[in-house]
Amino acid sequence: MRKSEERAVVERFARHLNSGQVAYLKAGHLDVLETERRGIGFVDGFSGRPMIDAFSSAGCFNVGRGNPRVRAALREALVTWDTGTPGLDSAPRRELRKRLAEIAPGDLEKVLLCAGGGDAVDAAIKLARGATGRIEILSTIKAYHGHTGFALSVNGKPHYRDYCEPLMPGVRFVPFGDLDAARGQVSENTAAILIEPVQGEAGIFVGDDSYLRGLRELCDETGALLILDEIQTGFGRTGKLFASEHSGVVPDLMTLAKSLGGGVYPNAALLWRDVEPLASWVRANPDFHRTTGGSELACVTSLAVIDEIVERGLSENAAVRGAELRSALDEIRLKNPRIVKEVRGLGLMLGIEYIHEFLGPLMSDALAQRGVFAAYSGNAPQVMRFMIPLTATAEEVAGLADAIRGAVEDMGRILPLALPAARIPVLLRLLNNERVQTRLFGGLRRLEDAFSRIIRSRP
Amino acid sequence: MSGLGFEPGFAAAGGLGAWIQAEDGRKILDGLCGDGVCNLGRRPEAVVAALAKALDETDQGNFPMISREKGDLAAALAAWAPGDLDAAVFSVMRGEAMDAALKVARGRTGRTTLVSPDGAWYGETGFALSLSERTDRASGPLIPQTRIVPFGDLAAARKELGKGAAAFVLEPIQAEYHGREAEPRYLQGLRDACDASGALLVLDETWTGLGRTGKRLACERAGVIPDILVLGEALGAGVFPIAATLLRRDVNKFLEAHPLIHLSTFGGSDLGCRVATAALQAYERERPWARAARTGARLREGLEMIRSRRPGALRSVAGRGLLLSLELDDEARAVAFCRAAADAGLLVRPERVMKRAVLLAPSLLLTDDEADGILAAVDAALGALAGEPT
Repeated sequence: MRKSEERAVVERFARHLNSGQVAYLKAGHLDVLETERRGIGFVDGFSGRPMIDAFSSAGCFNVGRGNPRVRAALREALVTWDTGTPGLDSAPRRELRKRLAEIAPGDLEKVLLCAGGGDAVDAAIKLARGATGRIEILSTIKAYHGHTGFALSVNGKPHYRDYCEPLMPGVRFVPFGDLDAARGQVSENTAAILIEPVQGEAGIFVGDDSYLRGLRELCDETGALLILDEIQTGFGRTGKLFASEHSGVVPDLMTLAKSLGGGVYPNAALLWRDVEPLASWVRANPDFHRTTGGSELACVTSLAVIDEIVERGLSENAAVRGAELRSALDEIRLKNPRIVKEVRGLGLMLGIEYIHEFLGPLMSDALAQRGVFAAYSGNAPQVMRFMIPLTATAEEVAGLADAIRGAVEDMGRILPLALPAARIPVLLRLLNNERVQTRLFGGLRRLEDAFSRIIRSRP
Repeated sequence: MSGLGFEPGFAAAGGLGAWIQAEDGRKILDGLCGDGVCNLGRRPEAVVAALAKALDETDQGNFPMISREKGDLAAALAAWAPGDLDAAVFSVMRGEAMDAALKVARGRTGRTTLVSPDGAWYGETGFALSLSERTDRASGPLIPQTRIVPFGDLAAARKELGKGAAAFVLEPIQAEYHGREAEPRYLQGLRDACDASGALLVLDETWTGLGRTGKRLACERAGVIPDILVLGEALGAGVFPIAATLLRRDVNKFLEAHPLIHLSTFGGSDLGCRVATAALQAYERERPWARAARTGARLREGLEMIRSRRPGALRSVAGRGLLLSLELDDEARAVAFCRAAADAGLLVRPERVMKRAVLLAPSLLLTDDEADGILAAVDAALGALAGEPT
């Protein structure tokens, strides 16, 4: 891409969307332009470098980027279908509802198609509070469920909520993974416990089997409903079709989005069990959440996505490839204890936690140099997520592991410079502050760009 | 479960232009346009072609990234919208776009109170629902710090705004309340009151925008430019779900100071942006607002004739352009009318706030013959309600 054209793209985005976002992405070395989106990656239009997509739009590209089968299904559907009419049924809507009920855990059989993840979470909260006649929702610290009004209210990071308060009352936050803490906060006023089976934005924390089973029992004892948000974890990401299958826990409600759309067409769903008190309340309030979601084009796309995941065994592939990547990451951690604190995850939803938050943006850059696009977690910048498409081969995973190994070794060379500063508590606090990071790394980035221009301009 | 508010007695098998194909083989006149989405009729050729082409070349993209498609659409919208509404936040649907608007209103002003007139309906998500007039609030407490004032009552609005509200929010015409219209003087008064109090004026043009009321935007009639403008799914012309929250440059400073504080995975999909950019071009080419004004007047006149020919059958007819509404005696009659209309080959539905009223919002590219078809179906449905043989 010509430099002038590149500048025009960035300037247009900065002017008409968000200049702050451009500065933030540049500071974090996340300013790529995705072109030639295929398989497990894309080509960065700015640098011309092929990149492995280790972000996958937070878990949207499970079937791979530009999946041929999914694109073909959508293209064919354009001859007949469109976004439809909210509330008017059709064959694609019936088929998708039926298919979702078939593949969902246990007796989750009622389906409301929604427009997006936040929409589905908002619908879930309304349904849970309506059906139980109770007000409180138990969420977890650093939880992430979306940005619409109710989903935002249960977001576990105050940063997202603070400027928009006051939000929906009756939300309690407890530490993720702490069953006793949940027990201490659940009462006869609790409508639902809402969690991600594996926390994504929080920095990849796996809810273990005993935790999930404990929450299920707690709900059964108290009459609260269990809502599992499988928006990131669903459709094979963790090595099972749904993450709850690892523990065998069947939630009362489940939200789905992201990969349901196959990376091409938005779709989302709320599923629930057809048991009391849900069944009666929905009968009395059949239109409790009327949305433009779940259009025919979306349903045709999603049906192809599910076929692709099931028939190609992508959940199973995620388990095998995930284990390979996991063992490579564990090895990297053992060799680099001053950089990598912990490796966590399930299937191809993996994360590494660095010793310091400020390593997040630096690692993004080191990885980008080696052809890996990876984002640090929104709710935890010290954690880098690796969520590649589930279509990855053993060779592709080995290539990714090599790139991560190389990037961590690069970090090892920078660290002697950064660590003395990080030992001074005030400076460490500053370095780990998001706004300071944007400024500081943005400044460094401008310097780098200036130097590279000088170097490039030499004959 | 039917979100239509009545049982239509048929399922969809596709659609084209002003028509929905029913599974039973019938062709049904589309009086809803997917809730004001298919303003250019169903499957407008140029917009469908844009999606087919984009599918060969790209996908939705990683949502937080810089993208050519997002920038192109946002720039096109900035050029299209009035005043300095030149920054965009994209969403997948109306409710999300409204929630974004109201979050920004609180964030930008540092104030909390959100004021809306009664009779409004903005969507189902947290903020949108909390300002909507709903009789079915069975699902627990909503977003606090909202105030509802009587529609059209400028003094009441001024009083609330004077207490330091963050925003005044309204639809220029309330589609779910029998086409109740904000008069230009009311909108202008609200604009002044917002300026005086430092509150933001938020207009939801989901139903009224992109030509339906005979103008590009309904706010043009009053010459009022809001601080935040919501464009609904009509932006994707029924081919892709996409909505936009347009912000004045000064208002966007909040989001620029706090980047990535509001995110949407599906909002601003690169495919959706390509579709919306093509749709915006199609809107400018077809200029459906001119046709909406003309066909709307013709339909309205025809509906008034039916009303005078059938005393007592219709209480009133309201609306502007092709955002029309028929008032019946009560909710049960509205439901029966919609069912009878579906049998007569016209899809309409009861309104969500004034439930005795029926919403009629056909394609803006409706032909005169198709408009006559709608009138015939309305007449036949009223006849069926009166017990006339079909």
